[in-house]
Amino acid sequence: MNNTNIAELVKGVGDLVTLPDVFIRINQLVEDPDSTIDDITGAVSRDPSFTVRLLRVANSPFYGFSSTIETVSRAITLIGTSQIRNLALSTSVLRTFSGLPNELVSMDNFWRHSLYCALAARILATQARKSDPEAVFTAGLLHDIGELVIFNRLPEQAKEALLLVLDSGDELPVYQAERQTMGFDHAQVGGELARQWHLPPLLQDCIACHHDIQQAQYCPRETAIVHIANILALMAEVDTFDPADVPPVDPLAWEITGLEAEDVVESTIREAQEEFVETEKLFLGN
Amino acid sequence: MAAPTNFRPPLALPGFEHVRRAWHDAHEAYAARLLPGEYYVTKCDEAVYTTLGSCISACIRDRVSGIGGMNHFMLPASASADRDSWRATSLSAATRYGNFAMEHLINDILKNGGLKQNLEVKLFGGGRIMANMTDVGMRNITFVHDYLQTEGLKVVSEDIGDIYPRLVVYYPVSGKVRVKRLRSLHTNTIAAQEVQYLESIKEKPVSGDVELF
Repeated sequence: MNNTNIAELVKGVGDLVTLPDVFIRINQLVEDPDSTIDDITGAVSRDPSFTVRLLRVANSPFYGFSSTIETVSRAITLIGTSQIRNLALSTSVLRTFSGLPNELVSMDNFWRHSLYCALAARILATQARKSDPEAVFTAGLLHDIGELVIFNRLPEQAKEALLLVLDSGDELPVYQAERQTMGFDHAQVGGELARQWHLPPLLQDCIACHHDIQQAQYCPRETAIVHIANILALMAEVDTFDPADVPPVDPLAWEITGLEAEDVVESTIREAQEEFVETEKLFLGN
Repeated sequence: MAAPTNFRPPLALPGFEHVRRAWHDAHEAYAARLLPGEYYVTKCDEAVYTTLGSCISACIRDRVSGIGGMNHFMLPASASADRDSWRATSLSAATRYGNFAMEHLINDILKNGGLKQNLEVKLFGGGRIMANMTDVGMRNITFVHDYLQTEGLKVVSEDIGDIYPRLVVYYPVSGKVRVKRLRSLHTNTIAAQEVQYLESIKEKPVSGDVELF
């Protein structure tokens, strides 16, 4: 299957999955230089359920603000307008993608890995300093959405790919097995979905290139962070510090981010495991 | 993964020619891939590997001669689904499959020159990989512990229970083993293989003619 066919595969998803209206509205306002904080506050307030989720996250240890945040406008001022856009997506991933059910992985297991990746990416970005931690958090949460498309639309080939991975004794990476059975992988599919949805370039890059960071067009640094975070998420999930238990990190990712494996691997895994407990309900709860 | 051209897979022992084997760069060895219900015994320097959910793999070898192998089995669900009554009502019916798997592995090791007093056992699997299901893994663990105790065989190491699916790679000649926890992306695929295996043993009841050693 070539690029045109990936595009067609993803087009078929449009009827099953739609971005939350509140995200689309905030996205337009953030991109519009004439918009004001009041406009964004208005857009948020029109969605009562997002308003509740926003205030819950703003008052959680995820941000750790010292005082109680009682209003949307205060939350937006503290968190920042572009982060609100990301939060609108992050706090609704379960609902947004519930139209793509599948038999191959439970939604709990799927989103657990994604949340570990999101948390690890946020921690790494804080360490690396030059990237927006909240933006890579959202990127981490969404990095594997192409899997949900593939598992839902091409279940037979997807299953065959997972069997290839197991038959290889877990040596063959999933994305390479997908290329063998389908001719493309979940990163390409997710990237195409992000492109058709006009998600911010950072999200497009991180989703499309997390296995192939050299291909990142707009945000190589954030893509490298999500690439590392993805590997650390695998380690956090099976509770190991042994790099031999997971696929290797591309050395280029360490170079681009300026991070050193020996400084960040264990501490990031530990911190992500601790944060997981308190963020699971915020982002993966109903 | 291409094998070195001067290498061929070691000759399989009689009865094991059907087991799928391939060269693995990562293990630097030929390796036999076991599926649920299969077992493999070898005298050669090669690996045996499998992926486990709630199933058990016993890795058994003669620690002197290096003859050894691996099985991969689970007990079928008892006719009564009641978690506590399996021991009382269908113990013999269910454990027949476990006895069958253990005895076949041990008998083939002895048949090929292994000595019972030299056998060392390592145990893996029995994970509770599906959070909301009854703990069938624990049932398999209880069975295999009871079995080995009755046979007077010593377990030198084990990695059992817990919530993770596992990859187990065993080298009978050296006794070395590598266990790797697998990410939950693989949980459903592994569980589906185990269910398929359970369906197949339901259709093919074991005849009670396993030789005793």
